[in-house]
Amino acid sequence: MRATEVLRLAQPSPRAFAPALAFGLLSALSTVALLGTSAYLIARAAEQPPILYLSIAVVGVRAFALARATFRYLDRLAGHGAAFRALASLRVAIYERIIPLAPDGLAATRRGDLLARLVGDVDDLQNLSLKVVQPLLTSLLVAVLAVVGVWLLLPAAAIALAATLVIALVLGTWIDTRIAARAERELAPLRGSFADETLDFVQNLDVLAAFGATDARLLHLAETDARLTRSASRRAAGAGATAAVVSLLAGLATVAALVAGVPALGTALGTALGGQPLGATAFSGPLLAGHTFSGPLLAIVVLVPIAVFEVFAAVPLAAGAWRQVYASASRVASALPDALPPQLPASGVLDALTASAPPVWASPGGVPPIIRLVDVSATWPVLHGPHDRQGLAEALLPAPEPALRSVSVTVRPGERLLVEGPSGSGKTTLAHVLVRFLEHEGSVTIGGVDVRELAPEEVRTVIGLCEQVPYLFDANLRQNLLFARETATDDELLAVLARVGLAEWSAARGGLSARLGERGALVSGGEAQRIALARVLLADFPVVVFDEPTANVDSGRADTLLRDLLEAAGPDRSVVLISHTPVPPELVTQRLRLG
Amino acid sequence: MKPVDARLRYAASARLFFGLGGVLAALQTACIVGFAWLVSSTVVAAIGGASLSMLVPSLAALVGVIVLRSAIVWLMEVNAARGSAIVKSELRRKVLASVARLGPGWLAGRSSVRVSTMVTTGLDALDTYFAKYLPQLILTAIATPVLVVVMLVADLTSGVIVVLTLPLIPVFMVLIGWATQALQAAQWEKLGALSSGFLDVVEGLSTLKVFGREKRQVGRIRAVTDQYRVSTMKVLRLSFLSGFALELAASLSVALVAVSIGLRLVGGDLGLGVGLFVLMLAPEAFLPLRQVGAAFHAAADGVAATDAVFEVLSADPAAADPAPAAARVASALGERTHGAAITRLWVSHGPLDDARFAVQDFSAELRPGTLTVLAGPSGAGKSSIVGAMLGFVPFSGTIDAAPIAWAGQRPSLLAGTVFDNLTLGSEDPSRALVERALALAAADDIDSAIVLGVNGAGLSVGQAQRVAVARAVYRLLERDCGVLLLDEPSSALDAATEARLIAGVRALAAGGVAVLVVSHRDAFRLAADQLLELAAPALAAEPSSATAALSAIRSTGAVR
Repeated sequence: MRATEVLRLAQPSPRAFAPALAFGLLSALSTVALLGTSAYLIARAAEQPPILYLSIAVVGVRAFALARATFRYLDRLAGHGAAFRALASLRVAIYERIIPLAPDGLAATRRGDLLARLVGDVDDLQNLSLKVVQPLLTSLLVAVLAVVGVWLLLPAAAIALAATLVIALVLGTWIDTRIAARAERELAPLRGSFADETLDFVQNLDVLAAFGATDARLLHLAETDARLTRSASRRAAGAGATAAVVSLLAGLATVAALVAGVPALGTALGTALGGQPLGATAFSGPLLAGHTFSGPLLAIVVLVPIAVFEVFAAVPLAAGAWRQVYASASRVASALPDALPPQLPASGVLDALTASAPPVWASPGGVPPIIRLVDVSATWPVLHGPHDRQGLAEALLPAPEPALRSVSVTVRPGERLLVEGPSGSGKTTLAHVLVRFLEHEGSVTIGGVDVRELAPEEVRTVIGLCEQVPYLFDANLRQNLLFARETATDDELLAVLARVGLAEWSAARGGLSARLGERGALVSGGEAQRIALARVLLADFPVVVFDEPTANVDSGRADTLLRDLLEAAGPDRSVVLISHTPVPPELVTQRLRLG
Repeated sequence: MKPVDARLRYAASARLFFGLGGVLAALQTACIVGFAWLVSSTVVAAIGGASLSMLVPSLAALVGVIVLRSAIVWLMEVNAARGSAIVKSELRRKVLASVARLGPGWLAGRSSVRVSTMVTTGLDALDTYFAKYLPQLILTAIATPVLVVVMLVADLTSGVIVVLTLPLIPVFMVLIGWATQALQAAQWEKLGALSSGFLDVVEGLSTLKVFGREKRQVGRIRAVTDQYRVSTMKVLRLSFLSGFALELAASLSVALVAVSIGLRLVGGDLGLGVGLFVLMLAPEAFLPLRQVGAAFHAAADGVAATDAVFEVLSADPAAADPAPAAARVASALGERTHGAAITRLWVSHGPLDDARFAVQDFSAELRPGTLTVLAGPSGAGKSSIVGAMLGFVPFSGTIDAAPIAWAGQRPSLLAGTVFDNLTLGSEDPSRALVERALALAAADDIDSAIVLGVNGAGLSVGQAQRVAVARAVYRLLERDCGVLLLDEPSSALDAATEARLIAGVRALAAGGVAVLVVSHRDAFRLAADQLLELAAPALAAEPSSATAALSAIRSTGAVR
């Protein structure tokens, strides 16, 4: 996926975006008009005309004052509303692209906080319309309108205003971009090494304390910090350059208006406009009554640039916001490749296949089919994860070699296969091959049918997986079970909980309405496995793969948990049990050793 | 957040930048007044008939003021950015020192990634406060009063109008702030749940795929996001009102000033020059205040995001209990040279007066030359006993131990070479000793020149475990420690390697070292001279039966 595609998804549709843009424009125009009209009012008043001649300007001043604040308020509301609406469709669009990749095609899944960052990046994209597109469009339109307005009064002043605005735009953006690029080049590696050292220090504080090495490490960290701070201080010299340039050009615009306006005092207005009548301009009759460039008009021409530049100051800020938004979009895009990596099974052939008569075993709860693996190897996709902002260790080493090599095994109906081996021997890889999260070489057949002829979704109706770290949604116990079988009644749910040994546990926590906390924070490792098993039982998969169910359970309770899990699975179901710790031999019927 | 957060006293280096910021703000104010004065007087002179050549001196002065103004704008930003960088550095160093002082016991209940993120990117949230909000606050404190006084002197009526309108801003903001707070308090929990709803679905996606429910979530994401929008907009409608009040007060006061000046000009009571001058100053008096308001929420969020940092700093009175871990270990150094005796050890889950105990009345003797294995289900207090022996957790009772060389459950290897890791804390690293330690830890197949990444990246779990054991063995050999303490040293090892490790450990014991191994592996139990088996704590289901938590010690006493 390209970053531009992500950005297109993030930008609200023109229709949703129009009200915000209109209100923003009206507010900015009111800012300029307020100062311009005020200046005209005062300069014209100094000529002591009949007071009637001033009434329109007086009304204008008051109206523009009210309008500026009101439209600004409406602009912010409409802008946020549109951005949130765009967020809903953006989230859905990104989610739909994540589905075929998850879990093994997402670099992020290998480290939890990276996934959170991907989601954070998606959510940050709402700044595209709020902080980039809208301020840019508003500022540029106001600048153009102001130049046109000044042109009607004095073309020379308009040219001067336009020139200063263009220089400010080009110079300001160029300086801002250059400085940011240099900061990125200089600071990013320093930040990265400081972050690495800090993580090392905090994670290993016990060892450092026990080995008396804490002070030496702190000293080393202080040195890295000092280098980082020196570099950041040096960079600070560039920080204000953009603001200074805009301020300088704003002032020069006023000087230019004076230089252009003073000699023009008293000359006929019409000469500048090729003799065209001026009645249709935005200004009221009295303003142009003299048809000469008068003192009050000079006041307008001199003061309007001040207000225009006040609005225009948003442009360099928008450039900064654009860099952040673009970085977020690039990270999101890089996490979502256009083509599925070859190591992942393609999805979406389900419709074609379900049209033909489904095999008997495809129905949940049926007699488990024979699963046969012949010479199966599998490799994890090489992923280039989203670039880590802090430079915290990027734990994504390419895995060029197969994680699982030439495995052949047959799981007959009702059999218990134990897969053992040291960590890194491919146990989890095997589990992911079985549920078609990963593509494989060799052949895997279910009831004699090659799984490649089936949609991955269909394979997953036969083979269920109890993950090593079962995901518990931030919802109550009922909702965490119900999605496995949506028609289940509360009684059925309670019966399943009793079967997996959670009857008392759930009762003590308030039954099915008990909340499990964010990411199951209120649930221990063993209980999470039992909940995962309860889901698998509800979904009634004929074949169940347990991936290290005791990995997060203390050794004293591991055997009890294993016994409970296998007993609850029942005698008819086929079970593939993956474990790196010893399993009592009477619990399994076949063993497969990897690595 | 209060206008100036009191907790920032931790950042003493900020003061210099406050001072410099004040000077620059005063200069900036002078430039604003000068600019307005020069522009208005030039316009008046031109209308009065002065030609461009006659105006050259004022135009030159104007350019001078403009250049000076933009230089000050630049200096103010530089000062703010530098100040922010230096304050962050100071806080980083203080927090890390505090974390070190609070020690591993304090870290135990916390995510180390979160703690280090807090020290690194977490502190960047303070940028909005130091680099944006505070400079504007200083500018407001100086520019607004000065400009008001200038206006009062130039034109009393306009000055009075501004003086009357200005206080409306804080009043409006406070009123609206209260209303928003009340609404936010009610909405907060809901908003939090809704904003994390998308993450919840994405993180649980593999589980959803297992159950074929992934496509159904599209509707849920849309619904959750829509609810999020509706709820957030409800809050925003109110909280944007504060911005509205600021803008309205500022622009209305400009309008009032302009109209009042205009009417008095018609009457001939006022000169055009003064009128234009005051008109240009009026918005400038409000501008810094408006910018403070705009930066306030972001700054408050930034300071709130660094709450954790200040919690660490305030949690660390230098005399924290437990005493710094290194000191505790050192204090044990002089008392004994061989073995260890633990007498009537109590360790509580929380503070010492807490009634819940992880270890209750545990006594044991670790004799030189013996291998003792400590076993029992987790929660029985094994880790607490280890923590107490190392001085990481507070305890009551006595631990009389020779210096301890220790390898923990996690390998905890540092970035650097395997050699660097083995010789951690050593003043005079010895290659021969490294080779010997690796051999005794069944790790002689690992090249000591291998360079490890953060968190020991580059080794398999089993290799890392053996390197960690070798590190403890190195210290034992180098410092002649009397006690070797290994916590689950073989959990990731296969049986053959485990056997070699046990042989190495036995060899060390034979040399007169008291070895204590926490392990649940049968191989270690069988090799033990003394087996200490801790009973399971009370089950979670029956928390009332506190007596069941009594950790009875069954010493087999089978010294071979």
